[in-house]
Amino acid sequence: MNYKFARVLSTVATSSLLALTAVASTAHAANGDTLKTVMDRGSLLCSGHNGSFPPFVQVTDDNKWSGYDIDYCRAMAVAIFGSEENLKVVPISWAQRFPSLQSGDIDIIIKATGWTMGRDTELGIQFSIPYFVGATNVMMPKELGSTTPETLEGGSLCANAGTSTERLAANFFQSRGIEVEMITFEKAEETRDAYFAGRCDSIVGWGPNLAVTRQSAENPDDHVMMDTALALEPESAAMRQGDDNWVDIANWMFAATWIAEANGITSENVDDHKANPADSTVEKLLGVTPGIGERLGLSDDWAYNVIKQIGNSAEIFDRNIGAGSVYNLERGLNSLWSDGGVIVPMILD
Amino acid sequence: MHSAPSYSAPPREPLSNRLKSLFFNSPLDALVTLVCLFVFSYLIYSIVDWAFLSSVWRAEDEATCRETDGACWSVIDARHRIIFFGLFPYEEHWRSTVACVVMILTMIASCVSWFWTTVRLGVLWIAGFGLFYILMHGGIFGLSVITPERWGGLALTIFIFAAVSIIGMPLSVLLALGRRSKLPVIARLIGLLIDFVRSLPLLTILFTAAVITPFLLPGWLLGDKLYRVIAGFALFFACYQAENIRAGLQSIPSGQDEAGLTLGLNYWQRVSRIQLPQAFRNSLPAIVNQFVITFKETSIVTIVGFFEILASGAAAYGTGVWTVHYIEVYVFIGLIYFIFVFSLSRYGAHLEKKLRVGHA
Repeated sequence: MNYKFARVLSTVATSSLLALTAVASTAHAANGDTLKTVMDRGSLLCSGHNGSFPPFVQVTDDNKWSGYDIDYCRAMAVAIFGSEENLKVVPISWAQRFPSLQSGDIDIIIKATGWTMGRDTELGIQFSIPYFVGATNVMMPKELGSTTPETLEGGSLCANAGTSTERLAANFFQSRGIEVEMITFEKAEETRDAYFAGRCDSIVGWGPNLAVTRQSAENPDDHVMMDTALALEPESAAMRQGDDNWVDIANWMFAATWIAEANGITSENVDDHKANPADSTVEKLLGVTPGIGERLGLSDDWAYNVIKQIGNSAEIFDRNIGAGSVYNLERGLNSLWSDGGVIVPMILD
Repeated sequence: MHSAPSYSAPPREPLSNRLKSLFFNSPLDALVTLVCLFVFSYLIYSIVDWAFLSSVWRAEDEATCRETDGACWSVIDARHRIIFFGLFPYEEHWRSTVACVVMILTMIASCVSWFWTTVRLGVLWIAGFGLFYILMHGGIFGLSVITPERWGGLALTIFIFAAVSIIGMPLSVLLALGRRSKLPVIARLIGLLIDFVRSLPLLTILFTAAVITPFLLPGWLLGDKLYRVIAGFALFFACYQAENIRAGLQSIPSGQDEAGLTLGLNYWQRVSRIQLPQAFRNSLPAIVNQFVITFKETSIVTIVGFFEILASGAAAYGTGVWTVHYIEVYVFIGLIYFIFVFSLSRYGAHLEKKLRVGHA
């Protein structure tokens, strides 16, 4: 008798819970002084993963979080507290990251999260400037001798069936009039194994994922990326809407690592630069002349601490994704604009 | 009085004859037997070859993994600490190890019939659980504090299972008794609660506990996400287990209860001396089954961001050179699950034999 009733009740309850989340998300966003909350709590809660997403979020042999995104979580904690001891990385799943942000389980999402309009406008979320661009790319054997799209004329391409990368690749080659046969697979593992087994001449995927795939090859150096990207996705940190200062802190935390790189400041030589600043930008960045901290509600040496303890953007990339890591991915578009990339540091005045 | 009928066992055929009549009775039989034999031995050889003969065992030998077709157990050698302990700080792993051992010993001890009184079981569980918590969480006796978001791996799986069982089991008894209560309001309300929870998927309940309750409850009532999830899980467990126990209760003839009543036993005496012992015995297979299911269902908490053993496994292979060796990691985790679940079900079978379940 009460089975039917319970069924109805459960439907009502589930939908009202969903509605509540929507209401609560706006409520939480409104009362935003995240920096104060974080400082009172004494720890920054940043997004981890339930498992790993190399090379952004992974776990080292001695059970510590590491990775590109984790390094920026560490940088954020150092900027606020002067020490990464105050960072707590909270493991969350992909599906859970936005509700967790809204409920206050985490203070910021730095986890390969693409800036889309839907997320920006409908989820009560505010994005930082993009700190990473993920290029969809094609990987092919080095022995083909060239890395241009034309190399693949008459060849074949392995792709995951029904994904946006499959459509992107089809459009890309079609619009250039290059004849490429698409071979699709349901699972990423199958696609990878098919490429390595030689069933197709190339494989399409998201750049960092391809880099992870490449280093699992028998000889990673035998595989190269195509010189033209098919598409770019800007990855940004996500925060609760309505706390402008918190977004400012994230933006300038990223910018500090870029400005440091543009000025040749690394974790090694930051003390020399602080002792003998080359120009007024460096003086401001490293807190020799005051201003950089106060305007964000932080101490004046926050950027110095970040560079000293975490490093500049080149060091962070190199250590986690680039030549200093097993993945050995070309920095490419993630370089500063002066090196041919799309990263443009803001002006520190 | 009858004398036991004397019958002599039929003469046993020699083994070779029986095998022959079973497997080689006709040429077709022989062919099928041989083909099956070949396929099975090939399969077994492939598995043995993969797992043992061509496999690589030590972490330093990762490079040779790429040349062999066998299993690369190096990944277990290099990353087993992640599978067992998740994100627990490296230097403090002894704490997690001891805590796990304590919890497993507690579970084993509570299977011994000497402990089967409310007081003994209560003391045992509070002691075991308290010790586990002190070791894992720290904060006293000079142990550094390690908050639950860093707990993980096998230790977390065991903790969640143990906590859910401890909270859920007494709750399930109360719910089962409540649903059979003579007071209609209580019986209806509890019936409604049980049916309500049972009509929701576990995932919904865990997601609600982890993600939605922070919007509803005041901060001081919230507690850590881990405890909220355990509370939700325990409620789910209790509602299912309550139905198992209720089935056991209902199979007791009402005459027994009435007999107890005429002897002047009060409600709790009838429940604890007459009803529950028989109810547990009657529905023992279903009760053990629910424990087995619950142990395996703990892996669902990975969805709400816990680093239990499966998530830890994913983290173990999800880095650098190990990404291709996910099969080995899953086989290893499968073995761990097997050890726990198989012992649990063997213990259940042992209990059934001992309590002569299925005999009047």
